[in-house]
Amino acid sequence: METQILSLKNREDIDEEEEDYRTMIERCLGPHRCRRIQRALRHLKVTVLCLVLTVVVLRGTIGAGKFGTPEQDLDEIHQHFQPSRKRAEPHRVLEEIQTGGDSSSSTSGDGNSAGKEDKPDPNKPYTLGPKISDWDEQRSDWLAKNPTFPNFIGPNKPRVLLVTGSAPKPCENPVGDHYLLKSIKNKIDYCRLHGIEIFYNMALLDAEMAGFWAKLPLIRKLLLSHPEVEFLWWMDSDAMFTDMAFELPWERYKEYNLVMHGWNEMVYDEKNWIGLNTGSFLFRNNQWALDLLDTWAPMGPKGKIREEAGKVLTRELKGRPVFEADDQSAMVYLLATQRDTWGNKVYLESGYYLHGYWGILVDRYEEMIENYHPGLGDHRWPLVTHFVGCKPCGKFGDYPVERCLKQMDRAFNFGDNQILQIYGFTHKSLASRKVKRVRNETSNPLEMKDELGLLHPAFKAVKLQTNQV
Amino acid sequence: MVQDALRTSGSGGGLPTTAVWNGGGRGRGFLRGWQVQNTSINIKIMILCGFVTILVLLGTVSFGNLGSSNADAVNQNLIKETEPILAESPSASVPTDLEELPKPEANPPTDLEEPPIAEEPSKPEANPPPELEEPPKAEVNPNVTYTLGPRITNWDSQRKVWLNQNPGFPSIVNGKARILLLTGSPPGPCDKPIGDYYLLKTVKNKIDYCRIHGIEIVYNMAHLDEELSGYWTKLPMIRRLMLSHPEVEWIWWMDSDALFTDILFEIPMSRYEKHNLVIHGYPDLLFNQKSWVALNTGVFLLRNCQWSLDLLDAWAPMGPKGPIRDEAGKVLTAYLKGRPAFEADDQSALIYLLLSQKEKWMEKVYVENQYYLHGFWEGLVDKYEEMIEKYHPGLGDERWPFVTHFVGCKPCGSYADYAEERCFKGMERAFNFADNQVLKLYGFSHMGLLSPKVKRIRNETVSPLEFVDKFDIRRTHEETKP
Repeated sequence: METQILSLKNREDIDEEEEDYRTMIERCLGPHRCRRIQRALRHLKVTVLCLVLTVVVLRGTIGAGKFGTPEQDLDEIHQHFQPSRKRAEPHRVLEEIQTGGDSSSSTSGDGNSAGKEDKPDPNKPYTLGPKISDWDEQRSDWLAKNPTFPNFIGPNKPRVLLVTGSAPKPCENPVGDHYLLKSIKNKIDYCRLHGIEIFYNMALLDAEMAGFWAKLPLIRKLLLSHPEVEFLWWMDSDAMFTDMAFELPWERYKEYNLVMHGWNEMVYDEKNWIGLNTGSFLFRNNQWALDLLDTWAPMGPKGKIREEAGKVLTRELKGRPVFEADDQSAMVYLLATQRDTWGNKVYLESGYYLHGYWGILVDRYEEMIENYHPGLGDHRWPLVTHFVGCKPCGKFGDYPVERCLKQMDRAFNFGDNQILQIYGFTHKSLASRKVKRVRNETSNPLEMKDELGLLHPAFKAVKLQTNQV
Repeated sequence: MVQDALRTSGSGGGLPTTAVWNGGGRGRGFLRGWQVQNTSINIKIMILCGFVTILVLLGTVSFGNLGSSNADAVNQNLIKETEPILAESPSASVPTDLEELPKPEANPPTDLEEPPIAEEPSKPEANPPPELEEPPKAEVNPNVTYTLGPRITNWDSQRKVWLNQNPGFPSIVNGKARILLLTGSPPGPCDKPIGDYYLLKTVKNKIDYCRIHGIEIVYNMAHLDEELSGYWTKLPMIRRLMLSHPEVEWIWWMDSDALFTDILFEIPMSRYEKHNLVIHGYPDLLFNQKSWVALNTGVFLLRNCQWSLDLLDAWAPMGPKGPIRDEAGKVLTAYLKGRPAFEADDQSALIYLLLSQKEKWMEKVYVENQYYLHGFWEGLVDKYEEMIEKYHPGLGDERWPFVTHFVGCKPCGSYADYAEERCFKGMERAFNFADNQVLKLYGFSHMGLLSPKVKRIRNETVSPLEFVDKFDIRRTHEETKP
């Protein structure tokens, strides 16, 4: 009943409206046409409304290029009202160690703490520590007094300390810590097989040298605190061992103090900023090394010094993008400009992958498994696969995150298979975390020999311990 | 009928406007048609607008709260990108921790009350369905006893022969028996990202202790045996390592949620010359009370010998998951005091085994409680400052605990028995407490037990070796050797 009355009332209103419209337009165009036009107008209104809403929705979900998205709008508003904090560094293909975290976080956080303790004198040039000039003598004295801590644990086998690390705080990327965990497990496995000790650093020793420079004070500290260590092997946290059987050719480096992966022509002739790689290198424990560290460090202190140094490096080195000074470029520059001082004790190794760029390796693992075997260390079966630019712990890498993480899984499994086969297992596939048995249990386990001979390798056998200087 | 009357009356008269249309059914029909059209257009518009509004809301709600910064959006992106990796294998979510058991701790014998924290362990029963990708390849026949492998009966002689043939791999190095520390964590990322961070820190802690004491580490991230999943994973791994490494004299199992807090302390191996299993516990709780927390299998040492292989074989049968483990759980709950009802766990099973076959096993088992081979965290983490003030490293007992074990915290899993914050804060403090002892050699220390930042406590000098002599823990042990 009521609905009827209401509808009648509606009808009245509509009718009135219709009346007005009609009278107006009827005069111009005629009744039918006018009605059509009205209908068209209404449709038009609806269409326009829908169009507007669609555009808004699309902008919200997909983003409309230069017209931006609502998030960007918010961001702009944010920035407008708040002073912007330092933006992330420009992207670059460069391994960054995690020891100090990336510069932006360390500068804001740890800078305050160091400031409390010892404010660096802006007028004094930066030093890693008081200059030591008799380290060789000090060390050999100590070794003589401590025969139970020899620096050579075998005839051709020096005592090696592998040093790696990551930032003290949790990763910004939620799965970053998981990959750091897998990476350290990978290193634990290799080092256990090869009798190498590990130092995992999670402390920022010097706030001035934050970011990729943090390894310098750490290396110096460890060399001076562990005189029994003959070689310090620095390795980035995003580098993984993929050849568990390869033992470094220590005799080759008898006359050298610094071993890095690289090419002589690219460093000395071309001054190419990626002519060598400081993500995985060997440092002998002696006076020469301390002097080199002192010469290497001055471009490191964050702030103006590092930025200015960055400009110099970009100008002097081939192919280097514009950004603050990094330890690798500084090393290239140092070697290229002071070849006479340092060059004769630096070995740029390219015979095997002391550092292997992941981009050209990870897709070939299956091919390697089919055609080759562990122990080669080179392009056929790389010793180290180094995920340069991936930054699994941070947010802004140079490569898509998913590709990086998937490939890190594959590299990890590729290496892990070599460990598991010792015990008769292997991963179901290079992408799978699950393992399957490849060798049955027996009641004579000691007769089994693992294929790679990694269970009791010769290079791990305990020999008579003698001091060799 | 009434309506009809109204209609007729309505359409009939009384209302002036309708009078215009009153003339003829055709007019009336026209009006109705117009109305219908209008209504239908209105309805269409309404539906369309409603639809579009929903779309807009979906689009905008996804960018989070108003006022959240770019960081969240980037996080969301990262999470979206990493989700496929996380979601890869369901097996990662099935009993993840290798030591899942929420082992409520027994207080020292002075307090004979029930352990105060015996909560219903929620995770074990609330198992998500087991691995779905593969059918159980070998249906475990409940009538056949599960075995870890073919029975070996002459392991001691096999081992002796091997050691003789391989002098390059002796079982005693530098006067110390060769020990292999075994620990591990699940193959996939933790449920909580912060869990992986703490796993990383505990690994660093173990690396530091083991480097200083010359112990090798095996970090296991593989499920070797589908049947023995969860806290039972350690059994096949221990057996496998024993058989593969005859040069190893002791296998030291350590849970991933246990931290070394006395870096100086060394296990008094000479005490255990006549024993094969060293485990922390209280004999009174074990023999008199048959308490399910009388021993703790989170940290123990097992000698590499025939006796241990036999023990593992006797220990394993309660482990295979499914009906066997459930049934075994019921038996254990009935037999042991204070045990909640859940599937069989390795700790309860070991206690049951040692009690029911006392004569066979207990002679070679050393129940250690003179130092904290396993130290329940709750009573320890708040006392670190007091310890630093009053005592010194090297004691290993309640004054300076050797191991702080975060039982029940489950950093990697989802369902902990304790408040998350308390757990993580405690782990941070324990880690820094230990790390300070490591950093002492280098002249640094944490700014506070909760701070990841370090400060210098000793200036650089030109003769660093005098401090090395003073502070290097390995050399301290060297000097105290006879």
